[in-house]
Amino acid sequence: MPALLSLDRLDKRYGAVHAVTGVSLAFEAGKIHAVVGENGAGKSTLLKMAAGVVAPDAGEVRVGGEVLAPHTAAEAIRRGVGMVQQHFALVGVLSAIDNVMLGAEPVNALGRLDVARARARADAVAREMGVSLPWDAPAETLGVGDRQRLEIVRTLVREARVVILDEPTAVLTAGEVSQLYATLRRLAEGGRAVIVVTHRLDEVRDHADEVTVLRHGKRVSTRIMQRGEAGVDLLRDVTRDIMGEEPPPALERRRREPGEVRLEMKDVHLGRALRGVTLRVRAGEIVGIAGVEGNGQRELVRVLAGLDAPDAGEVRCDAAAVVHEDRHAEGLVLAATVRDNLVLGELARFTRHGLVDAVALEREARARLDRGGVVPPDLDALAVALSGGNQQKIVIARAVGRSDRVSVFVFAQPTRGVDLGAARAIHGEMARAAETGKAVLLVSADLAELRALCDRILVLARGRVVAELPPDAPERVVGEAMLGGGLEPRAGAGA
Amino acid sequence: MSERGRQTLVATLAGIAAGWLAFALLVWIYGESPREVAGQLLAGTWGMAYGVGQVLYKATPLLLTGVAVDLALRAGLFNIGAEGQLAVAGLAVGTVGASLPPGTPAWIALPAVIAVAPIAGAAWAGVPALLRARFGAHEVISTIMMNRIAGAAVGLALARGLAVPGTVRTPDVVAGARLPRLEALGLPSLHGSAVSVALPLALVVAVLAAWWLARSRIGRETVLVGLSPSACAAERIPVARRVGGALVLSGAVAGLAALAPVLGYKGYYESGMGAGAGFGGIAVALLGRGHPLGLLLAALLFGTLEQGGLAINARVPMEVMTVLQGVVIVAVALADARVRAYVAGSIALPRRSRGTPP
Amino acid sequence: MSLLASLLSVTMLAQTLRMAVPYVCAGLGGVWSERSGVVNIALEGILLAGGLGGVVAHVATGSPWAGVLAGALVGAGIGLVHALIVVRGRVDAIVSGIAINLAAAGGSRFVLRSLYDSSSNSPPVDGFRSALLGGAGGGALLVRTLVDPLTIVTALLVVATGWTLYRTRFGLRVRACGEDPVASASVGVDVPRVRLLAVSLGGAICGLGGVALAYDEHQFQSGMSGGRGFIALAAVILSGWRPGRAAAACVAFAALDAAQILVQDQARAASGYVAQMLPYVATLVALWAIARRRGAGAIGGRPPAGLGRAAD
Repeated sequence: MPALLSLDRLDKRYGAVHAVTGVSLAFEAGKIHAVVGENGAGKSTLLKMAAGVVAPDAGEVRVGGEVLAPHTAAEAIRRGVGMVQQHFALVGVLSAIDNVMLGAEPVNALGRLDVARARARADAVAREMGVSLPWDAPAETLGVGDRQRLEIVRTLVREARVVILDEPTAVLTAGEVSQLYATLRRLAEGGRAVIVVTHRLDEVRDHADEVTVLRHGKRVSTRIMQRGEAGVDLLRDVTRDIMGEEPPPALERRRREPGEVRLEMKDVHLGRALRGVTLRVRAGEIVGIAGVEGNGQRELVRVLAGLDAPDAGEVRCDAAAVVHEDRHAEGLVLAATVRDNLVLGELARFTRHGLVDAVALEREARARLDRGGVVPPDLDALAVALSGGNQQKIVIARAVGRSDRVSVFVFAQPTRGVDLGAARAIHGEMARAAETGKAVLLVSADLAELRALCDRILVLARGRVVAELPPDAPERVVGEAMLGGGLEPRAGAGA
Repeated sequence: MSERGRQTLVATLAGIAAGWLAFALLVWIYGESPREVAGQLLAGTWGMAYGVGQVLYKATPLLLTGVAVDLALRAGLFNIGAEGQLAVAGLAVGTVGASLPPGTPAWIALPAVIAVAPIAGAAWAGVPALLRARFGAHEVISTIMMNRIAGAAVGLALARGLAVPGTVRTPDVVAGARLPRLEALGLPSLHGSAVSVALPLALVVAVLAAWWLARSRIGRETVLVGLSPSACAAERIPVARRVGGALVLSGAVAGLAALAPVLGYKGYYESGMGAGAGFGGIAVALLGRGHPLGLLLAALLFGTLEQGGLAINARVPMEVMTVLQGVVIVAVALADARVRAYVAGSIALPRRSRGTPP
Repeated sequence: MSLLASLLSVTMLAQTLRMAVPYVCAGLGGVWSERSGVVNIALEGILLAGGLGGVVAHVATGSPWAGVLAGALVGAGIGLVHALIVVRGRVDAIVSGIAINLAAAGGSRFVLRSLYDSSSNSPPVDGFRSALLGGAGGGALLVRTLVDPLTIVTALLVVATGWTLYRTRFGLRVRACGEDPVASASVGVDVPRVRLLAVSLGGAICGLGGVALAYDEHQFQSGMSGGRGFIALAAVILSGWRPGRAAAACVAFAALDAAQILVQDQARAASGYVAQMLPYVATLVALWAIARRRGAGAIGGRPPAGLGRAAD
């Protein structure tokens, strides 16, 4: 049977970063195909090219044997390839049915929208999937699970034969995950090719028919999955493929007796995001905050950084250096030089009589640059020209550079979108900070990172700390706490 | 040449080329020969001493409004209100200058009247600045409104007694408050032209502005805020204060543009004086690309066009020059965006965020 | 007649409606453009250019309808240029708007001189002066205004804009592009094309407003737009980018304009200046009011989230 979708030597660069390197891959009807790999392995980029959303620098995409040309999302949709993106492509203020219609609207004379026809079609698809959705509600008021279902309905209404989902379960509860895969199985049995990009190996173990591993933008392997014992064995091989041959070196950390409390939050409330957060971090310890994205992590960091004042509760935080989760919006001034970014917000320190002491500033900036290992070590380069990993190194170097003036560090998703080498360097900095007596709070969606670094892990769910676990707690336990007990997706979560 | 230098050169050349094409087209449509008209333009400007002086005279306020608009642009703002700020400042300068005791010596009178200009301009920019900094209201509409209100307010003030009865101008300023013309100071070749000490003053301001942006703490923070308000806010840089401050400073510099016509040329303020310098300043700022030398050259270019327009007015309407301003602005901006996209490859430079859109 | 009485008279109503037409047209132009995500401060220049185009065609052909068509075409053309510069050229919309306004101001004078040897006025035109309903009273003026084809067309356009924006495929796509161009592109909407169309359409409507302005004065005068384009834009923002409410806000501003004229007729020269300031001060106050309430359920609601954002 010819492949429904085949990718032929696709290649894509983003400036200095080679995101996808010559990947060829074929997807068949009737199968659920998982594409796995670490952060930054190129999974999303690859599938976006398959769906026409991103144009490849080289290579071809073939749908049913025919080249996808022109290479646009519109054409891909027309040819039957639909993608549900990680950050949903829904227009919030428009209603659910409007979103379903958008781009393929049924019309009467004069271009008048035939909403009845659209609704009928959408209802039929929803029935096939076994779900029901409020068609008239604005998309932004729907819960995360519903939004995802809406996106799937949209792809099916356009009669997609290939359905691609990018990290669909990142924001779902355990129950919703089962429901999703049941739906996907139904779709596959209906003759479609289902492709799921994920980093959750348990899903691969339980649901995938085939699994492809990407590493550093290259395809490493494609295997046929099996259930049961054989499956577990295969998973070991898959894991090895993901990590590469070298096992990650264990992070050496001299753990010290925790000292005084340097950061304390008591029953802090902020809007609907934080609903009574209580936590304590002592000098010399690294406390982790785990949790599904959208449970208040961002707001927590903002409160600690002093950017938002809580509605209720107490916050006591000694002088802190904060690394925010979005380095493009909050960490860096992309259009400014590396030098300016390394000392962002500290100009007052180098100012005498209103003028900046360029020599002193240069000295400090160079010191931070060298310490942080930024590549290329050019203070005059614009931040935007550096790779994600090096951009993050700048942000970290800036925070670390304030060591002698702060006693608390808050890191939010510090290694997101960062290559392995840079990530290790950043981990090293965090460990060192704790060793020198700082209180470190690490907010991360990467459980492995939390386990490797933290003395204890707090789980944040629905705006509250719902559990405190040791770093060696079984994955199952942590996972359950994160998705814990009837978690209701908040409107806006994960969007 | 550095990457940025190359970008600047390409954009500037594109602007000039587009300007020339538009000029030639319009002149030809009007039925005249572009080359002849261009020749007449050059003859009437750089071809004679009086012309050179007039070009310099016209370039002076353009340089200042150009610096003013540039200052605002650095903070991510559009100050379209230079026209109104200039008018209010001109009225203030003319009035204060005329109210001084008749024998006031220059060393008292000049600093006094020169100080009035930026204060008035800054005050007029204060309302849009406040609206923007406190409430996030976009400054494009508010500064344009202030322009129109300035027109009416100045008219009202003149009608209500500030003007010499029967005219729309203030009384003459005292002798000590006049800025000497350059010809009187030893450049007799510029005889008859209105260019005054205001020109070197403008040059000093341009250099000072560039130096302030690069060396002072507030200046540097202002530039960073213009590039990314969110990152600066996250690092506790007072974004609203820098933004508001930049607009007020911009207004102050725009106010200085009134000095050349009021103190350097006529010796009084007349309704309508300095018209066109506000929008001309936008063209200068966009063409001058943030460098004092660039701003000066752009001011000289547009000053040439303005004076040249008068020289050719008999053959071709001088309004052609306003059209050229628009064309040059777009050409430079297009070339700039193009060049930026080409050089950056697939890296997109972040768009300047601008608070509430207009 | 006392000031108050004249403000509440039929004449005032008639004047308001008469003057509202250019404001409303410019406002609708702003709605179309900004709803699709393109900031448009060139409405002022389009009013001028559309008015001039209309008058030139009217003078050349003797037909007021030719002028209407020309004005709409000129408006559409300028709108298209603006959209091309912003959407394809990636230039900041404010820069483009300023340039267009400059070129329109200078260009209109240039054309006036080229064609009619005057840099301030065109030859007089009849416009849609209805000979049937002469008479100078307020009532007569009101009736003339109501039957003026441009008034009727404008009213129809308000309704048509609302209907098109909310009930047709094109309108849905325009709103989607304005709210989230990236999401729209990923479901196959040609965002640049939709924006080009929307801005051109808005330009055409705005051009009609310019024609109405010129026909009202029975000639084109340079600079006659007098800031209406900017005030209309403020009205659009104030009304939350909704066509019906934007039209209402425009009528309110027109009322201020009309009041200003009545006051100037009645009072001394000096308070004429104050009256002149009224519309602009009102706009500032409106801007302040919107901005102040933006967070907490603003009067107007929030702007299209994709305003100023590209599809990629």
